[in-house]
Amino acid sequence: MTRAPVIDAHVHVFARASTEFPRETSDHLPADREAPVERLLERMDAQGVDAAVLVQIGGTAFEQHAYLLDCLKRFPDRFLGIGLVPPDSVDPGGHMDRLADHSDGRIIGVRLSGLGGPADPFEPVDVSALKVTPIWEHAARRDFVIWLYPRAVDAHVVPHLFSGFPQVRVVCNHMMVCPGPRFWWDDKGRPQADVPMPPETRYSTMGLKIGRILNNTRGYYPYPNVCVHLSGHYAFSRQLWPYTDLDGWQQSLLMVFGCQRLMWATDFPWIDSDPGYDQLVQLPDRTFPDLSAADREHLMGRTAAQFLRFPAFRDSAGWLTPT
Amino acid sequence: MMGHLHEPTTEQCDAWHRDGAVLLEHALQGAQLAAVQRAFTEASLQTRPAWLEQVVQGTAPAAFFDIPAPLSRDEVFLGLVDDPAWYGHLQAFTENRVTFIQPQFRTVPPSPLSYVGWHYDVPRSNPLHLKVQIYLDDVSRDEGAFAYVPGSHHPDSGPYPLVGDLESMPGHRVFEGAAGSAILFNSYGLHTSMVNRSRRPRRSIILIYEVGTEATFSPETFVDFAEHCTTPDRRQLFRLEPRPEPSA
Repeated sequence: MTRAPVIDAHVHVFARASTEFPRETSDHLPADREAPVERLLERMDAQGVDAAVLVQIGGTAFEQHAYLLDCLKRFPDRFLGIGLVPPDSVDPGGHMDRLADHSDGRIIGVRLSGLGGPADPFEPVDVSALKVTPIWEHAARRDFVIWLYPRAVDAHVVPHLFSGFPQVRVVCNHMMVCPGPRFWWDDKGRPQADVPMPPETRYSTMGLKIGRILNNTRGYYPYPNVCVHLSGHYAFSRQLWPYTDLDGWQQSLLMVFGCQRLMWATDFPWIDSDPGYDQLVQLPDRTFPDLSAADREHLMGRTAAQFLRFPAFRDSAGWLTPT
Repeated sequence: MMGHLHEPTTEQCDAWHRDGAVLLEHALQGAQLAAVQRAFTEASLQTRPAWLEQVVQGTAPAAFFDIPAPLSRDEVFLGLVDDPAWYGHLQAFTENRVTFIQPQFRTVPPSPLSYVGWHYDVPRSNPLHLKVQIYLDDVSRDEGAFAYVPGSHHPDSGPYPLVGDLESMPGHRVFEGAAGSAILFNSYGLHTSMVNRSRRPRRSIILIYEVGTEATFSPETFVDFAEHCTTPDRRQLFRLEPRPEPSA
């Protein structure tokens, strides 16, 4: 491939619940709802998107990863996967290894939400005692990626983990937002979160003061092992596409992380009917109209290719390795 | 305002103009410091539960806790706004045109990441903006101490680099201080809160001021304290009345 890859860094696919593809069901994900990989590939191909990161949905048990494993096996050059770990797992490392082994290494990491730190930020955080620490330790040993979407109550724990595990590659989900407990599903079948934007949790997770005056800070993110993907706009914005009320926060992320640590993502299938996959592909050019060609390449796929180590897109520069 | 107004020394005036920041060691001490510490603790205890709930909801930062509406919580707090330990300095450095903008009674828990990077508060198109930060406990450089880049308030200073590690900012000064010490600084200059690597939250009071203009005149902001503002100067300080514009 001579051009830079275009990679959608965060999507979900799921089949109808079945014996072959068991998954949890709920009011918003009933047994007969589906977002098949073929539909995703159709959208991707129509928009020139080369690859994507499939993020597990529908349960944390190994068996509930069946559809994800099936997709990764059928389309090995198009996808990498992110799994989930049962919250009560006594052997999370074993679970992670099993996911990796059964996907021929294409499940590259796991998604975490609850971190289990003290709810009171004034209490000391003992990283060695956190409930999720065995997962991070195993990620450090086996070079797994942590796909991080913490809740607001855990935001202050995040830098402790980043400091404690500088060798672990981390992708902060959905513009580094750490939502509170208020989630619901709208009438288009999309998850929604009631979050002030820019997020108040930024003081814990990002640390740099960028707000009213965009250029008044002199810093960049101190953890080189951390990237952020830009998605979930539909859930946090108070506006319709192109979600211009989020432009300021995304500009802040651009200043702090730069395109070499930002990834474009759609969060398919939640965006499929509103605003549509094609609109999400166009969104970065609307949000960041002044990007250089090189920066745009990084944002749209090169960062994901290098940081996540997509086998199909290894280039002469090699992988982007945290220092 | 109680007590004798301190005038800035020649050395402090030089530091203010040259560096943009002045350390006022032991600005509060003895019984006054103890009273402020006690009132701060009491106000924190009263208001922290609501903050913790907001943290869970994601509607308040976990990286610092500000006591809401602090001036109304204890009379000792209101007096800090024009405390003689720094009010004479504020008047001198603003040519007697200082007005009070807002307080921040802030507690910063330990974290490997500072809640704020190197930054300035206002652009130079803004009228002169000043802050007084008062430590309520002894603060060493690794306990979330205030830091400033001396001289960065000058319009021709810099450029300054982007840094990931706060310690990497060239020429910066970390203001360690005993409880009761205060730092008066020009907010055009680059400053930050260093990382609090200790095991205890850092408590400080930040008082924000600005040279009075038509824009800062805001008689509603502190109207609840009008009965405590019985002199023209204090009414102007609390923006109940406009500061007279300097004659041309």
